[in-house]
Amino acid sequence: MMTTSRGGESAPLRLGVLGIVVVSLFAALLARLWYLQVMDSQTFQVEAKTNQVRVVYEQAPRGRILDRNGKVLVDNRGSQTITVDRNQVKDKPEVVGRLAALLNIPLAELRKRMADVRFSPYTPVPVADEVPEETIVYLREHQDEFPGVAAPTRPERAYPNGSLAAHLLGYVGQTTKEELDARRSQGYREGDEIGKQGVERAYEQDLRGIPGSKRLQVNSAGKVLGPPLQESSPQQGRDLFLTIDLDVQTVAENALAQGLDATRHVYDKASKKDFAAPAGSVVVLDPRDGSIVAMASNPTFDPGQFVNGIKPDVFRALTDPAAHFPLNNRATQGLYSAGSTFKLVTSIAAVEAGLIDARTTVLDGGSFRLNKCKGEKCIFRNAGGVAHGRVNLTRALTVSSDVFYYQLGAQFWNLRSQHGDAMQDVARRLGLGQKTQIPLSPEAAGRVPDPTTRRRLHDQNPAAFPNGDWRTGDNINLAIGQGEMAVTPLQLATAYATFANGGSVWEPRVVDKVVDQQRRIHRQVEPVKLRTVSIPPVVRDPILAGLTGVIASGEGTAHSAFAGFPLNRMTVAGKTGTAQVAKKQDTALFVAFAPADNPQYVVAVVMEESGFGGSVAAPVARRILEKLAGGTDTGAAVVGGTE
Amino acid sequence: MVATSTRRDATAAWRHVDVVLLGAVLIAACLGLVMIYSATHQKLEQELSDPGFYLKRQAVWMVLGLGVMAFFALVDYRVFRDFAPVIFVGTVVVLLMVLSPFGSSSRGTQAWFQLGPFQFQPSEWAKLAVIICLAAYCSQYRGELDWNRTISILGLSAIPMGLIYLQPDLGTALVFVAILMGVLLVAGARPRHLALLTVIGILGVVTVFQLGVLKQYQLDRLGAFLDPQVDNQRAAYHTLNQSKIAIGAGGFTGKGLFKGTQTNLSYVPEQNTDFIFTVVGEELGFVGSALLLALFAVIVWRTWRTASLAKDLYGTLVCVGVLAMFVFQIFENAGMTMGIMPITGIPLPFLSYGGSSTLAAFAAVGLVLNVHMRRFS
Repeated sequence: MMTTSRGGESAPLRLGVLGIVVVSLFAALLARLWYLQVMDSQTFQVEAKTNQVRVVYEQAPRGRILDRNGKVLVDNRGSQTITVDRNQVKDKPEVVGRLAALLNIPLAELRKRMADVRFSPYTPVPVADEVPEETIVYLREHQDEFPGVAAPTRPERAYPNGSLAAHLLGYVGQTTKEELDARRSQGYREGDEIGKQGVERAYEQDLRGIPGSKRLQVNSAGKVLGPPLQESSPQQGRDLFLTIDLDVQTVAENALAQGLDATRHVYDKASKKDFAAPAGSVVVLDPRDGSIVAMASNPTFDPGQFVNGIKPDVFRALTDPAAHFPLNNRATQGLYSAGSTFKLVTSIAAVEAGLIDARTTVLDGGSFRLNKCKGEKCIFRNAGGVAHGRVNLTRALTVSSDVFYYQLGAQFWNLRSQHGDAMQDVARRLGLGQKTQIPLSPEAAGRVPDPTTRRRLHDQNPAAFPNGDWRTGDNINLAIGQGEMAVTPLQLATAYATFANGGSVWEPRVVDKVVDQQRRIHRQVEPVKLRTVSIPPVVRDPILAGLTGVIASGEGTAHSAFAGFPLNRMTVAGKTGTAQVAKKQDTALFVAFAPADNPQYVVAVVMEESGFGGSVAAPVARRILEKLAGGTDTGAAVVGGTE
Repeated sequence: MVATSTRRDATAAWRHVDVVLLGAVLIAACLGLVMIYSATHQKLEQELSDPGFYLKRQAVWMVLGLGVMAFFALVDYRVFRDFAPVIFVGTVVVLLMVLSPFGSSSRGTQAWFQLGPFQFQPSEWAKLAVIICLAAYCSQYRGELDWNRTISILGLSAIPMGLIYLQPDLGTALVFVAILMGVLLVAGARPRHLALLTVIGILGVVTVFQLGVLKQYQLDRLGAFLDPQVDNQRAAYHTLNQSKIAIGAGGFTGKGLFKGTQTNLSYVPEQNTDFIFTVVGEELGFVGSALLLALFAVIVWRTWRTASLAKDLYGTLVCVGVLAMFVFQIFENAGMTMGIMPITGIPLPFLSYGGSSTLAAFAAVGLVLNVHMRRFS
């Protein structure tokens, strides 16, 4: 009866089937639960954590850059910015509209700035920089109309001296993708600033500081809940004391700029037009330890233009060939023939090799004819064809007798089995044709030519270097610093510093010490002596006399440029140079050191397409030396002179 | 037993009330209250509202639910059989009305009547009505369901199911399918018919997908389960992912009551209703979730037991309908939060916040208690 009343024989069986289905469904749920909560729980716990915590970073102000006396070269200033918290204005388009009107920019432009992907959704996005004070005041007084809009001050680079020492200081900019990829492990993030050139780049690690961070708890809508879980404020980077002297740097830049400017009004008889004088550079260094006292490169630029991102048209102008590449630091990257300033090298090599001594004389008839050689190409003339008569080493330097050195160049070639490439060896020992290791990159290495480099150049590019063989004429040209020589002004300065200090090759030093924000010395940058070159008195004395004569002697090539210079207060030794450049006007060079008997400064001046070193480059150096001698800069104009 | 007691003699039947089922349901409902509070209090506090807002309302529903349950237990279940045609017609009329301007819609689904501050969702009650009507209709054939009878049953069920699908409420419509299949199985449908229906069902799902009958949101939600990678399904996938993270992050013992970060920071949407299981998972862990499943298993077991003990086929089928409804809702709801079932808006019985669903679930238990109490009378 019970069975039938429940309907059909198969009801218990069918209920059994139902039961099995139910049990298997519950078993499936339990199995899934076990998988999620026990077997794979770790993964989900990590995901749940990253879900709720967001880290927001705040860049630290960079360290300041000061000159050797603590005068500020690069500072930070608080820029009045306006930021928008995207979360707060998300559903308030009227606020964005009002802000666009207040800032006087199109709504679309404001929206574009707000959409900047470099900023985390939890960081307010800066939409305007250097906002006028009255705008800020208006904003503060009407804050209730602008929810989510704030006006914080943000530290940015400030250059109290404008473009002064721009190349040496460098500039900062936003990290590129490559820079970021290389530094992610060091904590760099999208939108971070980084030193792009000069000291800003070389000492990035000291200047950068430690970014602040806030760990925020956020909900699923991205809304920040409560105060930060963890907070660290940004720590400003360390200050740098440079070896640069702000005053000397100022004089160096002014003298160079004015010298170039004046030269542009000088008529060049050779090319029958005014000198182009497009560019030049000056290096002032301390030969006692390699400290750079001043370093100028012209044309220059204003690093302030890079703050908050350089405008595209400004950057195009700075990289336009017609502007002669103002971003390049010609002191470390410009490559030039040394011209007669190379005679220092030839002189050392010749005395060392025993080809000459202080008493050896040569009759300078104005030209030098190569033995067993016929035709015009065998005749090498003095500049302007001047005959200097009988010259010894000292006088040859003072009057810059080419014939004297032609003779030495030829001798070195004839005796090459005995002396090898003696001139090149000395040049390299003094630091020419190789990087000086100054901590500013990029630095050009340059080249001191010899038969091997000639062969290599020819093999690499036969069109540009048609002649693969090294001949006597090449040695003769090299003796006076012509040919395929390519050296930087800094290399020249280093070579003369080595001679001036008695043979120590110092690595050029730009930063003296790194100081933390508690004014404690974090690191003293010690001078680094790369090597010592032996310059015995027998070599040194006649050369020094010759270089002193260049300025002091009435027939010295820089004598007129130094007319009226207080030599009683500071004796100066130096060498002029005028380097011929294919298809261009001559490069004017002058390298000097002072005081001649106890050198404290080396000054190297190189001016492109400017003519005679004695008449163009020497006056620039004179102005700088006058300042170094304790005088005040008078702004003396270029005076004439002869090579 | 008192064989002489009349059908309306409640005093005798009370002695046979299933205290195990009653206890399990009460525990589940109380756990539901705690979980609803956990899911909502933080957000309410942030909005400066009463953190116990949902808790209090649900407590009211629970008390009302107990009353409704008592009503459905005390009125002899066989009375409902007598009124089955009326109940059926009434249900269809109400479902039509909710689709009319009388009904109100929310998020694209027209499924409610707005009654002052409360919402009445007829589809929840339609499930119960259909269970009673199906049981009444099928039981008259005494286990002999030939093809014609099966077709007529299908035709009758299709009317309320179709109306609910039109709201559109795919999830609830699917509950009807589960109820129908369960009742047909036990009511004596031929195995080959059941097999055929299953095949047709599968083909139907495929066709629905192919013909684009489903609205985009339905596809997206279903698709998130099928293929979480597709881009336009991101929102639904996000929900699913956060739901799995919440449950997985709970681990073996859970993060502790009220300490779930996924819960407190509202990473999982609709957490007091459809996704309440994630709160249990995150805060009470595997231990708590498994215990909740065990609790559900007890309810289902007692319902199954009552089905097999019932005095008549009608009682058995009522219990089977309730069982199918609960099991499908539990499996679908918990399964979707764990990513093994598509996302559809079905409440978890006794846990999810909601008036109509809570009352309907208590009423369903009342029916089972009713059948159990009267298994000898």
